Amino acid sequence: MTSAWLAWRTTTRYRARSALAMIGVAVISALLFDMLLLSHGLVDSFADLLEHAGYDVRVLSTEGVPLLRAPIPQAAELAVAVGQLPEVESVARVRFERAVVTTQGRPDVDVALLGTTATGTHAAWTLLKGAELPNDPSLERCPLIVAQRLATAWALVPGSTVSIRATLPGRQSALPAVGCRVVGTADFLFASADEYDVATTMQGLREVKGGAADDEADLVLVASRPQAGPAAAVRAIAKLRPDLRVYSNEDVVAQFNRNGFAYFRQVSVVLSSMTVVFAFLLVGTLLTVSTNQRLGEIAALRALGIGRPRIASMLLYESALLVGGGGVLALPLGGMLAFGLDRILRQMPGVPERLHFFVFAPGALVLHLALLAATAIIAASYPIWLTARLPIAPTLRHEVVG
Amino acid sequence: MMPRATIVEARGVSRVFPMSAGPVNALRNVSLSIGTADYVAITGPSGCGKSTLLHLIGCVDTPTSGAIVFENRNVASLSEAERSRIRLMRIGFVFQRFFLLPMLTARENIELPQAEARVAAAARRARCDALLEYVGLADRADHLPSQLSGGEMQRVAIARALANQPALLVADEPTGELDEETGAHVADLFDRVHADGMAILVVTHNPVLASRASRRLTMKSGSLTS
Repeated sequence: MTSAWLAWRTTTRYRARSALAMIGVAVISALLFDMLLLSHGLVDSFADLLEHAGYDVRVLSTEGVPLLRAPIPQAAELAVAVGQLPEVESVARVRFERAVVTTQGRPDVDVALLGTTATGTHAAWTLLKGAELPNDPSLERCPLIVAQRLATAWALVPGSTVSIRATLPGRQSALPAVGCRVVGTADFLFASADEYDVATTMQGLREVKGGAADDEADLVLVASRPQAGPAAAVRAIAKLRPDLRVYSNEDVVAQFNRNGFAYFRQVSVVLSSMTVVFAFLLVGTLLTVSTNQRLGEIAALRALGIGRPRIASMLLYESALLVGGGGVLALPLGGMLAFGLDRILRQMPGVPERLHFFVFAPGALVLHLALLAATAIIAASYPIWLTARLPIAPTLRHEVVG
Repeated sequence: MMPRATIVEARGVSRVFPMSAGPVNALRNVSLSIGTADYVAITGPSGCGKSTLLHLIGCVDTPTSGAIVFENRNVASLSEAERSRIRLMRIGFVFQRFFLLPMLTARENIELPQAEARVAAAARRARCDALLEYVGLADRADHLPSQLSGGEMQRVAIARALANQPALLVADEPTGELDEETGAHVADLFDRVHADGMAILVVTHNPVLASRASRRLTMKSGSLTS
């Protein structure tokens, strides 16, 4: 006949009250759980996405503002020089353009056109059908890897041909359309829900842009040698070309964590704190009301010699049962809610579909449980204080007179 | 004949309750001694201080002046934990409103003070069976209070009060919530408890119950008269 057993009997005796409390705690804790998943989810997912791209160092121009950097000139020469560094395993140049894809009998569609020297396991896509972009650009004038969603929508298969024309932001383009052959279909790592991604070789991109012989890259991706690591590669490249900005994936994630993600973290902290307070208020109020209703009973127990520690621990266990029961229910509920919210957020324009806002991490679960345990203890504190200070004789007298 | 040892003694106790309208003198210089085989009934009009005296003797309250000496120990000098221990082991309380825990069965209610006293489960069960038999509720052991009548609940409460074999049974209007016939059954049970050697202090308006006591005291305006 322990305090936990007495608390269990009380909880099961007042089923409706207990069920309401647990449901309330479950809903509130589900939100808490989701906020904890959100507090690190986007950063973890972003880091994971960068790792999956197969490169751990990024080289950018120092010209322009962070999101609108000027391209790096003489990028081919840079790639060769970087590729010769002992810390570097492979190098790829990347150029981003907007383009319009046309095919007979269908309306034109805007695409994000990616010109790259990356291919195979180091490409920012997972090939689903067909072949990778050829390593030798002279083999094919304009080979294309198209996003699977576009391939499905337009019934494109490897071997299909489409016309593609580069567009210039804010200007009418007079560039002619170029016929390109689809060599493969793929899932692009950074594809967003609101646009189609198409990749070609740097040579193919030049063709689409009217044959202009520029040698620029928006980004140079570098894979460091495993024995050297990205930090050494960053130092070597920065030494080679101090006029460029060089970041490891870790640097990019840290910067993202400081800047882009700060809002999410602040929102998460505020909402987490509020949900903890709500859970405390809900359980604290229920326990206090329930204790006030049982003051006569508690005074009688004290008169019978039942000690304060037993009554206090009974209330603490009762709180733990209500919060614990709700907390357990909160996990699947929070999981479902996170899944739904994640789907909605990933539909935002420009957000890669593979980027997740809510990512499960064992640390989030541990923190969730710790916060709930603290809530249970704090919520039980006032009722415990109330019963500890309860004057027995006046309470018994009041019960009889009342 | 065995000499009667004193269990509890009130020595010139007064109890003043501070109220917003001014202090209320609930007890005025009351002295009372209860020995091992005593059966004391205190009667008197409502508000005369009967329950206040019972609470002082039952160690749930302390006097404003004077002393309550329980088994040769001045209660006022004891800590709350020590007073709680005395209530658990040496005093059995019976209340007008029974105050059984609604989520526990009759058996579990009776076992509760024994569990607090760390009596082993087997011994608790044996004592509980004996007490249920004693109060005539062996067949109601697994019933919740809500499934018992008022008289049955009071009998369970008496069994609970006897669970740790106390020296003194204190009862505050134990028949106050019962009809005449059921009250008489409870009075019979008190007779039996007393006959078995336990000291009893009962505060009551019930003349039938009071008439069973070996000492009948009357209280008026906070003072005792015989």
